[in-house]
Amino acid sequence: MKLTWRIWILIIAIVFSIIAIRPTFKSGIIVTSIDQNSELLKQGLSTGEIIRSINGKEIKNKQDYALITKDLFTNNSEKRVDISTDRAEYTILANKSLDITIDSVPRTRIKTGLDLRGGARALVKPDAEITDAQLDDLVSISRNRLNVYGLSDVNIRGITDLSGEKFLLVEIAGATPADLQQLIGQQGKFEAKIGNQTVFIGGDRDVRDVCRNDATCAAVTSCSPSTSGYFCNFAFTIYLSEGAAQKHAAITKNLSLDNTGQYLSEPLILYIDESEVESLRISSGLQGQASTQISIQGSGSGGTQEEALKNTRAQMKKLQTILLTGSLPYKLSIVRLDTISPTLGEEFSYTIIIAALSSIIIVSLIILIRYRKIKSSLALLLTSFSEIIIILGVASFIGWNLDLPSIAGILATIGTGVDQQIVILDEASRSKTLSIKEKMKRALFVIMSAYLTGVVSLIPLYWAGAGLFKGFAITTIIGITAGVLITRPAFADIIKKIEG
Amino acid sequence: MQKKPNWYDKHYKLTMIIPLALLLFSLFYLINFTSKNGDVIYKDVSLTGGTTVTILDNRVNINDLEASLKAQFSDVALRKISDLRTGSQKGIIIETKSSAEDTKAALEKYLGYNLTQDNSSTEFSGSALSTGFYKQLRLAIILAFTFMAIVVFFVFRTFVPSFAVILSAFADIIMTITIVDLFRMYVSLAGIIAFLMLIGYSVDTDILLTSRLLKRGDETMNKAIYGAFKTGMTMTLTAIASISVSLILIYHFSDVLRQIFTILLIGLGFDILNTWLTNAPLLRWYLDAKESKK
Repeated sequence: MKLTWRIWILIIAIVFSIIAIRPTFKSGIIVTSIDQNSELLKQGLSTGEIIRSINGKEIKNKQDYALITKDLFTNNSEKRVDISTDRAEYTILANKSLDITIDSVPRTRIKTGLDLRGGARALVKPDAEITDAQLDDLVSISRNRLNVYGLSDVNIRGITDLSGEKFLLVEIAGATPADLQQLIGQQGKFEAKIGNQTVFIGGDRDVRDVCRNDATCAAVTSCSPSTSGYFCNFAFTIYLSEGAAQKHAAITKNLSLDNTGQYLSEPLILYIDESEVESLRISSGLQGQASTQISIQGSGSGGTQEEALKNTRAQMKKLQTILLTGSLPYKLSIVRLDTISPTLGEEFSYTIIIAALSSIIIVSLIILIRYRKIKSSLALLLTSFSEIIIILGVASFIGWNLDLPSIAGILATIGTGVDQQIVILDEASRSKTLSIKEKMKRALFVIMSAYLTGVVSLIPLYWAGAGLFKGFAITTIIGITAGVLITRPAFADIIKKIEG
Repeated sequence: MQKKPNWYDKHYKLTMIIPLALLLFSLFYLINFTSKNGDVIYKDVSLTGGTTVTILDNRVNINDLEASLKAQFSDVALRKISDLRTGSQKGIIIETKSSAEDTKAALEKYLGYNLTQDNSSTEFSGSALSTGFYKQLRLAIILAFTFMAIVVFFVFRTFVPSFAVILSAFADIIMTITIVDLFRMYVSLAGIIAFLMLIGYSVDTDILLTSRLLKRGDETMNKAIYGAFKTGMTMTLTAIASISVSLILIYHFSDVLRQIFTILLIGLGFDILNTWLTNAPLLRWYLDAKESKK
């Protein structure tokens, strides 16, 4: 049987889609993020590398990785770690963790959204009217802040909706930190004051550098039981600019000593977003000194020692982040916050696949009963499947995250796709007076009209609701466009061959 | 060759009474509903603002939990999600207009453990934002409908046939909203999208019918209508079948998809009525009148 060019186009489209989806059969774990201060990063490890083995032990899955790292870092002593990836070999000394995050090697390049994968999504609104350029600034500052904090699998976009309101959409895949709300919702205006005079503020004008991830200058210094559990202290060093140091000298010069004689009469008070977070005593030796190196202290607490330690570290990390990245230019409020459990997501994918398969089987059965033509019914089934493959292929190609609305869109497309193939089938078996070519032309007219109404009715959804439902519009438009341009003409040709 | 007119030929206009009566009832009902409730639908927390917490706990008793939460949140609503294979409880969905913090705190107190990302999902949406979303999605539907109408006019370029298609789609949506309200369904953001999907689904059969009738060549009117009816019914019934199967499978699992599928099912049911008892007779009336003028 000679294939027509329309059928060839369908075959080529399917092949391209499969390449775009690229099912892989590799096992192992993939590096999803690397801490900015990590030795591995300096040695050239990059995200996307697949870890083959650690210290000669083969790593097949996440459990293997968890077991090996747990064994390695039982006591906090420094260990030599040999890591072999698909691209290179690395050797580092580490004592706590490898400072990387990992995940199983994805089987395909289909990206799933938060609804399916778990994660957090926040819609943040600046409290002031801002321009597009200002929104872009806000996006880049926020991204920087989250990266400094150690979150790298983050997607931040500026969004303008139908009524012209501007939002910041923050999406974090997988596990999310407990204090996400503070991290993105807080303006993070840091000020260090003595009395009512500001000594320095957060950001690179005053703070040249902040010691992080280096136990010699940033650590939890002590932990002790308290009335309601445990209480820990932390301290880390920051490096001030020359200007800030001079200011410190000028302000402290005129202060008197307190009654112990060891400290100055006024403390250095740290404010975040205008509320006091810490009050630090200034040792008398620093009076009038233009010191560029300052120790910042703070504390955290928790019910158990472990919890207190965790909270204290988080507290320290947050303060370091704010000091380093400075304040966001606007006050922000979180207007929508979703955190979705990964457990529910997995179950969800399973249910949807079952539902989609059952629907397709039911539809094929109905078609078979109605037309009693095995070949045509099979052709219809194949066309529907190829449509799903093309949608997934295009979605993978453009890197679109399939979320719940996107999946609803795919289901809708299969539905309308089947409908239109029925039009073709029926048109083909209708009155005998017309040539098969004329019949197909008529069928395609109906389909083209239905297509146009479909596309125009989806366009408003692209912007409505801060674009959260864009996925529906996108998958549906991909699906029905592929339908009209590729699968339906090919199906018409296949039917011509069968009926012809 | 003149065939004796059969019952349908004589009385086809009368069939329009049924959908017309339903449409009038629906319009009257919805106007009344809107004046009483301030809006055309009941909205759930995703449209009014509030919190939805899904806890993955297969032991906690939903009735006891509800009783406990009712004391603090009068508007709280709970639903169970169950496993697809075994039907056993997988978790519980809690909806309230209160803040995420308050809701979680109350839940944690009752459950006796902390809610983390491993055992729960939380969705919070501020009320101003939700109301804004709702307005925009409503606008999106109106725009979508308008764009659809323009395309239909552009495709057929004659007033009555285009008008019949649009009227049929309009009736589908109005009647579906009426049923949704009568069932006291609280519509979510996703539900609004279902109405949008309905526009696409309902015009398909109407376009098929119209183009078959307008370009029917030497076929008789009845034969053309019957042919279109056979095709259109296959289309709608396969859609109904596939959506029903999906609906059964996800019924106790996903609120979002359940509502989308339920609304689509109702809409597709009305689509049968409106396509074949509103659009078809209207179109035939127009074509009969046009031919008798010749």
